[in-house]
Amino acid sequence: MIVKKMPARVESLHELLTFIRAEAKKRGFSDSALNRIELVAEEALVNVFVHGYAGTQGQVEVHCLVSDDPALTIEVHDKGVAFDPLSLADPDVQADLTQRKIGGMGVFFIRKMTDRVAYRREGNRNILSMTFLNR
Amino acid sequence: MEIVVTNESDVAVFAITGRLDAVSVPQLEERLNQWFEQPGKKLIFDLEGLDYISSAGLRVFLTTAKKMKARDGKLCMARLRDNVKDVFTISGFIALIPAFDTLGAAQDAVK
Repeated sequence: MIVKKMPARVESLHELLTFIRAEAKKRGFSDSALNRIELVAEEALVNVFVHGYAGTQGQVEVHCLVSDDPALTIEVHDKGVAFDPLSLADPDVQADLTQRKIGGMGVFFIRKMTDRVAYRREGNRNILSMTFLNR
Repeated sequence: MEIVVTNESDVAVFAITGRLDAVSVPQLEERLNQWFEQPGKKLIFDLEGLDYISSAGLRVFLTTAKKMKARDGKLCMARLRDNVKDVFTISGFIALIPAFDTLGAAQDAVK
């Protein structure tokens, strides 16, 4: 397992995404798959930056799980308040402009663009686990 | 991310290049807020150079679309790359902001 730990703030985003993209690339994902992995990773990380520590300082860890199969599993760990982002309802993507609400899109992308996604609380950690299959 | 704003007669074109993500979004918001201080009613996002957009970027597009509707204006997008179009399609935003393959078609649409 490869781990990268950084302050949970938006200034860390690009370095973390570069790390994740490089790990995915090593596993031979296509460019379009890499774009989706990067997008999902941003959504998961920004959720932690914005909501994880409720304005206080904290750290985020990205774990890239190594396995023999060509899948990539990324886990985002934080020690903020217990929160399952997957408990949020999907936005209504059919809504017209007047009805369409701002927000909820990040988690929607995480659900849509991963092959498996799961949340768990371990001790004082929130862990969001996201798996991408290499097709 | 880089934003170049050009005005041709009464149409403003925001050419956005690079990455529109949680880091760069405040920059676009600031330029748009300046633009909304003027009474302009025709706005085009030229996305030929846009490599990447996340929900943070979509949020700005939705806010802009709502503001344009409120002032009875016209907003559209031109030249979306495949991966950017993908994000607009999955989110349903493609139905909220008209998208065109060429800048000329977008200019015709807001006239």
